[in-house]
Amino acid sequence: MAKCFALMGWSLPVIESMQKLNKPYVVVSFPDFEGYAKENNIPFVSYQFDEWSDTSNSLDLYEKLKPFEADVAVPLFEETVEWAGALNSIYRGDPRVLNRAFLFRNKAMMKRKALIGGLRVGLFEEVYNKEGVKNFMKRLNQANLQIDGEQDSWVHIKPFASAGTVGHRLLRSMQDIEEKCQESDFPCLAESHLPGTEFSCEAFIHGGKIRFLNITEYVKLGYSNFIPEGHHLHSKRDKIMKEMQKLVDLFGIEYGMIHPEWFLTENDELSFGEVACRIPGGHILELAAKAYDFDALGAFVLCHDPSLTEEELNEILPPLDARPKQFYGNVMIYPHKDVINKLEIPDELKEESYFLDHNLIPPYTNQKINSREGFGNHFGTVNFKGEDPDRMTELLLHYENVDFYH
Amino acid sequence: MHNPVLTDNTYQKFEEQHKEFRQATALTRPEKAQKMMGQIDLLIDSPEGLDFIFQNIESLSKAGIFEGSPWADPSKLVASLVNGTLKSGHPNSTIEILSELRLLAIAKGMMEIKGTSPTDAENFIQEVIVANLEFVFNEPLEETRLVMSEHELKKVHTLFKFISEKTKLDNVKEKLVEELTLICEQRPVVTEKQRKIIALVKEKIDLDPKKDLDARLLKFQRCIYRPTINSVNKDYKKYRTLLKTLTFDQLREESIEMSRAMLSFGLVSQYHPILVIHLIEKEQKELVPLCLGLTEAGTARWREHEAFICDLILKTIHPYNAQCLYGLAKMLESGIFSREAVRSGLANMLTIKVHPEVEERILKSTKTPHEKISALQYLMGALFRVLGQPLGVGQGNNPTCQSARGISMWSQHAPAKLINMVQTAATYNDLTFRFEAKEIKSSEVGLGLVQNLDHNLDAVSVTLVPMLDKVYNEMMLRASGRGEDPHKWVNPALYGQWIQIGFASAYDYLSNAIVDYNGFISVLYAMCHPKYNGGHRLIYPNPVGIFITSAKGDMLGFHAVSLLRVDVDFKGVYRAYFLNPNNEGRQDWGQKIKPSVYGNGEIYGESSLPLHEFAARVYAFHYNNLEAADKMDNVPDLEIQKIKKLAKESWGRSYTWLETKKIW
Repeated sequence: MAKCFALMGWSLPVIESMQKLNKPYVVVSFPDFEGYAKENNIPFVSYQFDEWSDTSNSLDLYEKLKPFEADVAVPLFEETVEWAGALNSIYRGDPRVLNRAFLFRNKAMMKRKALIGGLRVGLFEEVYNKEGVKNFMKRLNQANLQIDGEQDSWVHIKPFASAGTVGHRLLRSMQDIEEKCQESDFPCLAESHLPGTEFSCEAFIHGGKIRFLNITEYVKLGYSNFIPEGHHLHSKRDKIMKEMQKLVDLFGIEYGMIHPEWFLTENDELSFGEVACRIPGGHILELAAKAYDFDALGAFVLCHDPSLTEEELNEILPPLDARPKQFYGNVMIYPHKDVINKLEIPDELKEESYFLDHNLIPPYTNQKINSREGFGNHFGTVNFKGEDPDRMTELLLHYENVDFYH
Repeated sequence: MHNPVLTDNTYQKFEEQHKEFRQATALTRPEKAQKMMGQIDLLIDSPEGLDFIFQNIESLSKAGIFEGSPWADPSKLVASLVNGTLKSGHPNSTIEILSELRLLAIAKGMMEIKGTSPTDAENFIQEVIVANLEFVFNEPLEETRLVMSEHELKKVHTLFKFISEKTKLDNVKEKLVEELTLICEQRPVVTEKQRKIIALVKEKIDLDPKKDLDARLLKFQRCIYRPTINSVNKDYKKYRTLLKTLTFDQLREESIEMSRAMLSFGLVSQYHPILVIHLIEKEQKELVPLCLGLTEAGTARWREHEAFICDLILKTIHPYNAQCLYGLAKMLESGIFSREAVRSGLANMLTIKVHPEVEERILKSTKTPHEKISALQYLMGALFRVLGQPLGVGQGNNPTCQSARGISMWSQHAPAKLINMVQTAATYNDLTFRFEAKEIKSSEVGLGLVQNLDHNLDAVSVTLVPMLDKVYNEMMLRASGRGEDPHKWVNPALYGQWIQIGFASAYDYLSNAIVDYNGFISVLYAMCHPKYNGGHRLIYPNPVGIFITSAKGDMLGFHAVSLLRVDVDFKGVYRAYFLNPNNEGRQDWGQKIKPSVYGNGEIYGESSLPLHEFAARVYAFHYNNLEAADKMDNVPDLEIQKIKKLAKESWGRSYTWLETKKIW
């Protein structure tokens, strides 16, 4: 049993879970949260995560966490993955734990590792400027045996170390490269477009074994997803499980949760997209918690603890073969107009039997909408619940295009 | 009624969310509450959904849905704020509705909350109902319709239907009577508000004449809808036919009954003009004084100017322009017709052609313009009302207290000047004033205080106010930067030579402080208090600047009123009687200072306060600077200290106070 979990990053729902599970914890986060923590009796160590220096480093943080007897570090956000890795290296006396953390923070390194281990990945390359992307697209076109007049092959560029879709650009042509790429995008990873349906897995790992696997079906990346996976994906569950264990073995993950994204082609081939080891976006764990009726955030934290017993594991995680009857899905709502004045919930939604709830916020008068970065800044989420995953897909696709803000 | 929103799993989904909310700790409760509110918002636009939430209100409240919000403690809620909150949309309107449901549950004994008894809750709900009649009867005002979406209107209407069904309307009736009395006792020039309430009561509440409250409400109804026995169950056209069959004696009775109905609340029915016109046309003019409810003095004036006034009536009055009969009757009483200049002015008015822009404003201010009535007729009618009821002039929802105060003052002391001003403004949509030997033309100066005139005004005000407001603002600009309150020069220039030259201000521009407040109050009392001013009465209205303070005594802003007279009331208290152009019957200025509008010796249209309470809100007034120095030493320090305490503990908290002596 861990003496104390160091939660790397500020998340009220996670803190709430720890309190309810009655587990010892300390929150490590930016000084901004210190006041609130004090007021609410939340054990807290203030740390400037974005600073790395003689006085701000993992050894120093290790010392600061000593009074709390912290012995397990849990990364809640992308930006705290290395910090948690460094601390866990010390706690477990294994320097490679930190190296593994770096693996999650460098998308090129991550892909290379996957490639070595025999996972199917797209063609990828580190690029340093627009010319680099153009050359990459040219070589891809050649490999795809492009004939004059045919469309260019699609290329994605992503920052090496950003969460989810932040900074992700899809480039469909040479002209796109010219128009969409910014100086500040580089260096970054360029990769070929992977065909197929995208989905993610949330694998809770303990002792190097997958103890529970959630599959999240993406209806549209950045907009909507639902849990558990629909019928078709479900029929591939064994295959997915096998690939997942391969990934876990290959990356040497022993404890925690990983959240990779995969593509399933029509020929039933799985391609690896990328993988993270923090709390996934899109309210995925919220949906999983409801669908499987478990404390997903609590489980996320506890799985990081090497000394967790078999009984405790069985208690906190759903059985590996669980298959819920109710599907929970959500769609994130973005305004469609540049200036909005009011929120209108359409009658068809109110009358929809799958509709569960929403947390949309009415805008200010004449609120201007900034262009968005990644898929952040949504105005709220609409949640659905129902028994038929096909109907769920339909609904999520439909509401993505409904304008709630006028 | 089948409601598609309330399917079986609605309850289950609500329960699921409710459970999640209950189980949340303080850390995530705000976020869960927000989601919960989203769900409630969608449920409560149907009676079933609202009832469902009502059944769950206790557990929602216990789970902390109100925690950390201004609604947390029901004993701290203010009924008069409910209307504005309901109009501000989700999530505020949603939590406001929940708050009403909680109070209803407390009133019904379904739940308990410390500090709020069932009676408190019941009273609060009744106050809310009375202040939100537009929602109770689902007849939202035009402004309301503009700001609220259909869904929001449905939510709010559903709530009021629900709570008014569950609340004893008997008690609401009492508040309705009170509200109507508060309005009618001021005899406002604009009568739309009370007519609306009376109409709504007539339409939606069954009244039993045997019950006292019902009888009182019926009395209001009768003076509009059946002022005489002969008018029962007839429209005004049938009534006209009936009049032809009446004998002289019967007409005499009819006239007495008709005028009694009018005088009881100052409201005129559509039948009244029919009767007056009938009397004039059938050469039974001697009955007109009875029909207008005139005193002997009024009757004498009628006889003197009978032909002229008959002509005015026939050219102006119509069942759809009836209210001005009350003003006309009051004009006859005040003797204003004896002035040659007034008669000439009114005769001139009948010949003018109204400027199209003014015409548009007049018709816009008339709720239901009738095709047979011209803008000029409406304007004439409003002129009768303003001249007959100078203290009934109001500013509506406009920041134009100065203009309203001016119209009221001219109406009393310079009626011919007012008529002439209306004539000029209506013909040319322009006005000129002199200011320090220079001309100010309203069409040539910048904007006034009001950019979007609220048209809930009388036709005289909509004609004049946009221009007066601009002229006033221009005068203020020209007089600013002199190190003193510009009103010192602007008031006499705008209102006329009735305004005293001396000007006292509690606020000193140069030191940005309240300077020599003792001296200020001494001058005020030396000006108006009969005990210290040599037992003199005030002659002309004194334009007074007052601090507006909240019910908690906090400084809110500035306002213009006119001090009309100071008198001893029947309890022996010296009271200030003043004109407040905002026509508000329920004022609470904090520190238990609550101006009354009737019952303390007020003439219709006056507000009043014990003089020291009034003095404690004054910051500027005019006085005779030749007299003051003599008399100000008469004022005892004890009186001054009493006022100073009230001032310092309210608006005075927003200022620095200096005790340096000034020369007044």
